[in-house]
Amino acid sequence: MTRTAKIMLGVLSACVFTALYLPIFMVALMSFFRLRRGRIQWDSFSFDWYTDLFRNQQIIDALLNTLVVGFFAVLIALVIATLLAFHMHRHPGRTSAGLQFVIFLPFLLPPIITGLSLLVYFREIGFGRGLIAVIVGHSIFVLALVYRTILNRLQTLSRSLIEASQDLGATRWQTFRYVLFPHLRMAVVTAALLAFALSFDETIITLFLVGDTSTLPIRLYAMMRVGFTPEINALVTLILLFSAGLTLIIARFVGGSEGQLGLK
Amino acid sequence: MSAAASTGSYALRLFWLAVVFALPCLFILLPMLAFLIYGFWHVEGADIVRSFSFKSYLDFLGNEAYVAVFFRTLALAAKVMVINLVLGYPVALFISSIEGRMRYYLILALIVPLLMSYIIKIYAMRAILGSKGLLNQALLFLGVLDRPSDLFLFNMNAVLITMAVIMLPFMILPIFMALERIPKSLTDAAADLGATPWQRFRDITLPMSLPGAVVGGMFCFVLALGDFLAPELVGGTQGFTFGRAIFSQFGMAFNWPLGAAMSVVLLIVALAVIAAAGRIANPRWQRA
Repeated sequence: MTRTAKIMLGVLSACVFTALYLPIFMVALMSFFRLRRGRIQWDSFSFDWYTDLFRNQQIIDALLNTLVVGFFAVLIALVIATLLAFHMHRHPGRTSAGLQFVIFLPFLLPPIITGLSLLVYFREIGFGRGLIAVIVGHSIFVLALVYRTILNRLQTLSRSLIEASQDLGATRWQTFRYVLFPHLRMAVVTAALLAFALSFDETIITLFLVGDTSTLPIRLYAMMRVGFTPEINALVTLILLFSAGLTLIIARFVGGSEGQLGLK
Repeated sequence: MSAAASTGSYALRLFWLAVVFALPCLFILLPMLAFLIYGFWHVEGADIVRSFSFKSYLDFLGNEAYVAVFFRTLALAAKVMVINLVLGYPVALFISSIEGRMRYYLILALIVPLLMSYIIKIYAMRAILGSKGLLNQALLFLGVLDRPSDLFLFNMNAVLITMAVIMLPFMILPIFMALERIPKSLTDAAADLGATPWQRFRDITLPMSLPGAVVGGMFCFVLALGDFLAPELVGGTQGFTFGRAIFSQFGMAFNWPLGAAMSVVLLIVALAVIAAAGRIANPRWQRA
C-alpha cells in the first residue's frame, strides 16, 4: 500500500471511530455538566444526576430485575448448553445437527421474531408475561453462543486423555470432574460473561415478554419515550462503563494476545 | 464422554436426553410453530378466530399503506448496507494494514460498542442529531448551515444515520477477518511479478475480501430490516418502518395474527438474504 493511500485510509478511519465514540462521550460528559441554551456550562460540574439516580426506586428495581434475569438465564443456558455440547460431541449425526439448527435459530433470526413467537406461545399455553418469561427468552437467546463456545473447547480435547483417565480406573464422574471440567473451565467462564453481557442489554425480546415489570433497558426505553431527563445521562454512563468493562474482561479471556482476537 | 452417561443408569440417561431435547423443542421449536400458525388465523371484531385461512396475509397485501412501508423499509435497509460498505471497507483495509498492538486496540474498539446496549447507542445518537445537537452545532460552525436544522431528528434521515453508525462494526469486522485470511504470499508474489499496489489491490485483495463484505452487508441489511427501536426513538411519526408496523399490531392495533403474518414476510426476506449471502460468501473455490 502506498503512503498516500494509507494516510487517506487513516483519516477516514479516524472519522469513522469518531462517529462511533463521540455520541457516547457526549452522553458521559452531559452526565456531569448542566446545559444552558445548548451550551455546556463548564463550571457546573457535579455528581447530582448520579445521586438522583440512586434515589430513584424504579431504577433500582429495574436494575435488580436485570441482574436476576441475567443470573438465571446464564445459569440455565450454561447447564443446557453443556449437556448439548457433550451430546453433540458424543453423538454427531443427523438428529444432533437438527438440534443444533434449532438452537441457533433465536440467535440468527431478527430478535423481533424470537420475541414474538414466545409471546404468542406463552399466551396459547396460558403462561403469563413477567420475569420468568423474560428469563426463558434470554436463556434461548444466549444458548447458541454458550453452546458454541463450550463445544469448540471440547473439540480441542484429545480423546487419549479421557482414555488414559479410564485406563487408570477413574469412574465417569471422576473423568468429568478431574479431566473434562478443568479443560472446559475457561470456556465456561468466557461463555457465561458473554451471555450475561448480552442478557444485560437485551431489549427487543424483553419488550415482548416483560409485562408490567421492567428491566433496565426497558426502563430506559420508557424514559426515552417520555423525553430527555438529565438522570438518563448518568444511568447511561454507568451502564456503558459496565458493558465496556465486561467486554474488556471477555477480550482478555478470549484473546490475550493480538492474533487470536482477529481469528474469532 | 457424555455427562448423560456418567451414572450408567439407563433411566437417568434417558432423563438427560429428554432435558437436552425437550428444552430447545419446548421453548424454541414450538414457539416458532405457534407463531407460524398464528399468521393463518385472523381477527374478527376483538376476537381471534382460530381457523385456518389466508385472511391475515391478504389483509397485509391489501393494505396499501403497509405494503408501501414494507418497500420503504427494504430501501432503508439497502441504504444502510451501501453506506456502511463504502465507509466500512476502507476502515477494515486500514486496520489490516497496520501492525502491532495498535491493530489489537482498534479491533477491540470495534467490539466494545458491539456489546453495548442498543437502546443506549440510540439514545446517544439522538442527543447528537437534535436541533441543539452536536451535528447541528458543527454544521453551523463550519458555515454549512446558517441556522439549526430539524433535518436530522424525527424523520427517515435520522433513522438512516443512527442505524448506519450503530451497525458499522458489523460491517467492518467481517471484512477485516476476510482480509486477514488472504495469504501474504499472494500479494508478495504479485509484487515480485511487477504488479503495482493498485493492481494488487484490484486483482487480489478486493476479490478475495468480497465474501467478508457480503457477510457484513447481510448483517446490516437483516438488522436494519427488522429493527423497530431506532425508528421509534429517533424516527418520530415520519420514520415509520415495517418493524414498527409489526410491533404496533401487538400494541395499539391489537391484531396479533396480522402481526404474525407480517413477521413471516419479514422472516422470508431475512432468510432469503441470509441464504443468498451464504452462497456468495462461500464460493466454490473457498470450500474445503
